[in-house]
Amino acid sequence: MKEIMKKVTALLCVGTMSAVMLAGCGSSAQPAATAEPAAEEPAAEEAAEEPAEEEAAEEEAEPAEEEAAEEASTDEGSTPRNETLYFAGQQWGTINDWNPMSPNSNNAMGQTQKDTARTLIWETLFMYNSMDGKLYGLLGKEYSWNDDMTVLTVKMNPDAHWSDGEPVTADDVAYTYDTHVKYESSTGADYSTYIDSITAKDAETVEIAAKLDGGKAVNPLKVTAYLCNIYVMPKAYLEKVEERNGEDPDKVKQDTMEDLVASGPYLPYMNNDQKVVFIRDDNYWGQAASMWGKLPVPKYIAHTIYKDNAAGQVALQQGEVDVCQQFITDVQKLWLDEDLPISTWYDEAPYGMTATMPSMFFNCEKPGLDQAAVRKAIAMAVDYEQIIASAMSGQSQTFDELPRCIAGPAESDRAYVDIDSLKDLQWKNKDVEGAKALLDEAGITDEDGDGIREYKGENLSFKAECPTGWTDWNASMEIVAAAGKDIGIDISTYFPEANSFYDDMTTCNFDICMWSAPGAGPMSPYSKAMFYFSEEYAKLASNWSGNFGHYMNDDAEKILQQIPLETDEAKLKEYYTELSKIWLEEVPSVALMYRPEQFYSVNESVWTNYPAADSGNNIPPLVCTDGYGIAALYELELAE
Amino acid sequence: MKGYKKYYGQKLFWYLLTLIFAVILNFVLPRLMPGDPVSAIAARAVGGMTDSTAIQKVINDYVEKFGINKPMYQQFFMWLGNVLKGDFGVSFSQYPRPVSDIINSAVWWTVALQLPAIIVGWLLGNILGAIAAYIRGVFDKAILPFFLFVSNIPAFGMATILLFVFSIKLGIAPASGGYGYDLIPNVSWTFVKSVIGHYQLPFWSIVLITIGGQAIGMRSMSIYELNADYVKYSRFLGIKDSKIVGYVFRNAMLPQITGLALSLGTMIGGALVAEIIFSYPGLGTTLLTAVTGQDYPLLSACTLIITIMVLIANLVVELLYGVIDPRVKANQQD
Repeated sequence: MKEIMKKVTALLCVGTMSAVMLAGCGSSAQPAATAEPAAEEPAAEEAAEEPAEEEAAEEEAEPAEEEAAEEASTDEGSTPRNETLYFAGQQWGTINDWNPMSPNSNNAMGQTQKDTARTLIWETLFMYNSMDGKLYGLLGKEYSWNDDMTVLTVKMNPDAHWSDGEPVTADDVAYTYDTHVKYESSTGADYSTYIDSITAKDAETVEIAAKLDGGKAVNPLKVTAYLCNIYVMPKAYLEKVEERNGEDPDKVKQDTMEDLVASGPYLPYMNNDQKVVFIRDDNYWGQAASMWGKLPVPKYIAHTIYKDNAAGQVALQQGEVDVCQQFITDVQKLWLDEDLPISTWYDEAPYGMTATMPSMFFNCEKPGLDQAAVRKAIAMAVDYEQIIASAMSGQSQTFDELPRCIAGPAESDRAYVDIDSLKDLQWKNKDVEGAKALLDEAGITDEDGDGIREYKGENLSFKAECPTGWTDWNASMEIVAAAGKDIGIDISTYFPEANSFYDDMTTCNFDICMWSAPGAGPMSPYSKAMFYFSEEYAKLASNWSGNFGHYMNDDAEKILQQIPLETDEAKLKEYYTELSKIWLEEVPSVALMYRPEQFYSVNESVWTNYPAADSGNNIPPLVCTDGYGIAALYELELAE
Repeated sequence: MKGYKKYYGQKLFWYLLTLIFAVILNFVLPRLMPGDPVSAIAARAVGGMTDSTAIQKVINDYVEKFGINKPMYQQFFMWLGNVLKGDFGVSFSQYPRPVSDIINSAVWWTVALQLPAIIVGWLLGNILGAIAAYIRGVFDKAILPFFLFVSNIPAFGMATILLFVFSIKLGIAPASGGYGYDLIPNVSWTFVKSVIGHYQLPFWSIVLITIGGQAIGMRSMSIYELNADYVKYSRFLGIKDSKIVGYVFRNAMLPQITGLALSLGTMIGGALVAEIIFSYPGLGTTLLTAVTGQDYPLLSACTLIITIMVLIANLVVELLYGVIDPRVKANQQD
């Protein structure tokens, strides 16, 4: 009897154990539903102990959360689903500052100064639109060069004002630039080679004087690029930052600027290790008729900090993310197989608007690879269609659909190249026989019968290198290696840690490596031409900019110097076509696939009316935040 | 008391020695990784720049700032000096955020997750082991083997399975984070509920794999003790069964306490990985970011914190052991 009792007790014990387990899992169903504006304790009581055990203690350990708790008194402690646009794939790791002068900002979501700058918080003078290659007014209304292209004049939008209500003036623009130069921020260091000075002619007129070389501007393209690249900051606020840091350059550049005064439609709301949230500034100047005429639709912009792509993708599928800037393999399966309300720029392959070209560079200083025939033979033998099908899961045009040229895939850039005249220089996909013939003709053959061709008595043996874990790139390099085998060149793959790879690439210590060309911008296709050819880049001790294989061609270099000063479209077309010819004949590098500037897939379960190829409103798929792509925020609608 | 002094003295000495080696390895090992971490930071800083001298200037600036151009022993003593002052330096990957700030925001999540999980797993495991030994039947034939099977699934595997089943397929548990994606930390029931909800999967993924290993040990020890002479003798004497069982399990527990210390030690290997799968904001995820970003200061600090936590946990258990097990004292007095 006793025995049975004991067994029963034990059984009960285990029963409770499993029940607790199940109950535990069950209770987690609630948080996903969320947003219950339920009974809220006043935030002032934040010091009070919470009823929950350990978890309560942890919360208070995070400094960022204390601020959040204070602010939460105005809100319900959540960012309601139907007032918030959730992002993924933009911000990795915790935000560390809001300072556009900081060289170490890890705040991609809040501030990214590039050709298509992210203007959620800080704003640039103009916005670049990759749809038509034009600049659209933001803080600036219009701009014009003088006849000699030495001075660029910008008219400011008189409606623009800062978040503290003060007007945005020409003085602010001038002072921002002067501060960049004074404290040698990377912006200041970079642009001072091309810009002599920025001065305020009057409150609404800015004059940007280009640096001159022999009476001509060094590079007018770079000066124009300033307009859409660099944020404008308020003079009064900058003075405050300078003062509190005693004008010490390091301290000024590292000031976190948490108390920022900016002009954009959103302001920082809260951030911690798990997320960052911006809140709409309902006094935003852009609701003036001269700008957008209204406020952006979402009240909050939020980005959960996911640990990897997989986590972000799961969140997109579960509807916790609206706009996802991540590469998703076989993205079409999300709506075809899983029936989710997810869409991309195009309904069909390549799904995204391609703008850049991940390319492979040959080390032109390496015996064997210094021979154009070897480089071209490798390029000819590669199965690009397999790269596009496997590594990109079809999310790129093939090179038959969009023949190679130096300008890349964007239509506005391709207008600068006479594609038809390049026809004879293109090679067909995986042309193994042609490649072999080319090598035989050049006298690079296999003399010792080991199956590998020799150049000057040495076997042609190379390593194709890219960072480990970049799976699509790794796959591409494998396909390149296979191509080498087909034509009697020994190519093995080598995938080191990213940082080792960076060392190799930037110091030309590789045989074959891979990197991506710059996307579309006000300087394209010039920026791509520089990326593939610039001798100046090649001469850098640590070269992050392009021409990693140190290909030296004086003809190309001469053209590169002439392009920025040329305004005649026909002449420009001639230049870019000539560069494309050199590129295809000499093959110092070769594009392996096309790729979008930003990956873009949206879940339309909460928000809808996102830009798409067929929406016809000229808004580019730059994830609703970048360049002219931010216009999308004003067009969004709730799904129900 | 004399015996204890010797016992404790010896333990402390060995732990101190371990700590010294751990500190040195913590510093040296990450720095032996190939590649230059400053490259990555500099890459971010010079992105989009086109002027060559300006780019070079920025890069030199960083090398200087992080002192990685100095010989390693100099770096070590500088680092050690700062650590003793509680200053772990500045993170490379989240520069200029101080490492201590990052650790401080992560470590509590980890402690709150791991300690309860390991202790609950240990308790459940011991209960199961004891029941399996004493009652046998279905416990010994089905439940224990099942948990034994489960315990051999690596932590990340378990985490992935739970994530797939409960979050992606059934949709009853959140997939990632420490609280709801749409919440802002605040003092409210909604928030606390969300935190508890997000706690479940990481918690159970650790508990489930801890149970089996503990149970099997407890079962063997219990069976051994149940057949010991003193048990038979007690039975002859007619001592109540419940009383005997009390003796048995007290004795069988002893090696299990070592087991607890060991499982605290393996925290890093297994359980921290579970955090990564669930994007849980603890040390595991911080450690991963530090590794991928070659963030030496953060990496050293993370591993140092973990080492110290494990050493302290082990030390406490060993010291307790001296009190619990009279044989230890007896040994020392010989």
